[in-house]
Amino acid sequence: MSVQDQCSDAEWAARVDLAACGRLLDYYKLTEMTNNHISTRVPGEKNHILVNDYNYFFEEISASNLLKIDLDGNVVTGPKDGLSNAAYVLHSGLYKARADINAVAHTHTNPGIATSANQCGLLPIFQNSFDFYQMIAYHDYVGSASEFEDTKIVVEDLGAHKAMIMHNHGLLTVGGEVSEAFSLMYRLDKCCRAQNMALATGQKIHEVSPEIKSKTYNYKFNRGNFGGRRSWPGHIRRLDRHDPSYKH
Amino acid sequence: MANREQVSSEEWDARVNLAACYRLVDYYGMTDMTGTHITVRVPGKDDQFLINDSNLFFEECTASSLIKIDLEGKVLDGSNGLVNKAGYVIHSAIHAARHDVDCVLHTHTVPGMAVSALECGLLPLFQTAFDFHLKTSFHEYEGVAVDEDERERLVEDLGENMALILYNHGLLTCGRNVPEAFSLMFRMNKSCEAQLMALSTGEKLHEVDPKVAYETSMFMKGRKTFVHDRSWAGHLRRLDRIDPSYKN
Repeated sequence: MSVQDQCSDAEWAARVDLAACGRLLDYYKLTEMTNNHISTRVPGEKNHILVNDYNYFFEEISASNLLKIDLDGNVVTGPKDGLSNAAYVLHSGLYKARADINAVAHTHTNPGIATSANQCGLLPIFQNSFDFYQMIAYHDYVGSASEFEDTKIVVEDLGAHKAMIMHNHGLLTVGGEVSEAFSLMYRLDKCCRAQNMALATGQKIHEVSPEIKSKTYNYKFNRGNFGGRRSWPGHIRRLDRHDPSYKH
Repeated sequence: MANREQVSSEEWDARVNLAACYRLVDYYGMTDMTGTHITVRVPGKDDQFLINDSNLFFEECTASSLIKIDLEGKVLDGSNGLVNKAGYVIHSAIHAARHDVDCVLHTHTVPGMAVSALECGLLPLFQTAFDFHLKTSFHEYEGVAVDEDERERLVEDLGENMALILYNHGLLTCGRNVPEAFSLMFRMNKSCEAQLMALSTGEKLHEVDPKVAYETSMFMKGRKTFVHDRSWAGHLRRLDRIDPSYKN
């Protein structure tokens, strides 16, 4: 029996969405071999999540080869050796703490890790960066030795935000749906890229005035939803033209 | 959807050129998902413009999917597509004020964003950049939503120039036709990219003699070659080899 036959329609739809997210992260060069994880909560099953199998590259992710696990780290569907302990601890910790989130993405993009190593973090110097201004968390690097301890602090540091710069490590985004976590990651990485270029010149930065900063923050904060929903169908159509096998 | 029989042949040609321009902006990596726009005046109709359907990614743009609107963004051709009115405000301000400009192209390219946050702006460091030296305007960032007052300041800042750096935001070029606006954007983005590379080395810059810089810039201004841009035909042949469906 295929994975699709064994799961609910809602779970299958979530699988297709998460697989698409994995393929898109690869398509936009936001991956680091198999070293990152994306996950989504199974609709209607708050203690079950889907996560990519550690053995596959992101371009190989498909709806059927995702792992279904519970928040205690037991693999429900898929090979047990596909689950990375680090991923399970981080992702399950976030889902346990945040009932409002249904998707998590974590990357080590070069622009992201570069900014993560800057004391200044993400600066409000672009319109695009105002998606994150005063709406992004920071987390100090504590190493990967004590994952449970680290996750506790990650959850605390993230607070109610949807994006986080993990210092000396990478980027983390969460969302109400996969499209939101993906959209935030795509945008955050782009902001880091542009900021790195601007700062690398060593030139004086043209700053945004405090009044405009606060006006723009209010605008962005009140807008609420991230616009991930609007561009998601476009990303999906792009994938479909490129290689629709993520749906299998 | 407009079809060829319903519109004048001049309008159809403008649609094909504008659709090609959207495809080219995607092809050359200058898009920000659906976040920016390119608009063109309908030939012979002072107050009618064509804009993309915001439901589509730039690579999906076709001549018939473009939407005909007035200066306020009201749909004139019965299209069911999505007009991003907030995004159109910058365009309509320029179209209303500059009767010599038929095409307005706005981007959030990464190099363009980076230079837009530099106090020094675009420097006359390369022959390519002389297309912009002393011919580029600057506009302060005033927040996401452009209000009535800002439209006036934007137009005043642009003056008679064809290129505008929107501080902390991105790039904008104008054209007497689509090829001119595209060619200017392609070159402006390229100039930004090369400048960022040069400045990032931290090395002392080899400056061009100010007199030479001035004379070269004025020479470029007199040429007006971009209206009859030779490279446009090449760009179209390039598109035709990849995917000629923009003509549909």
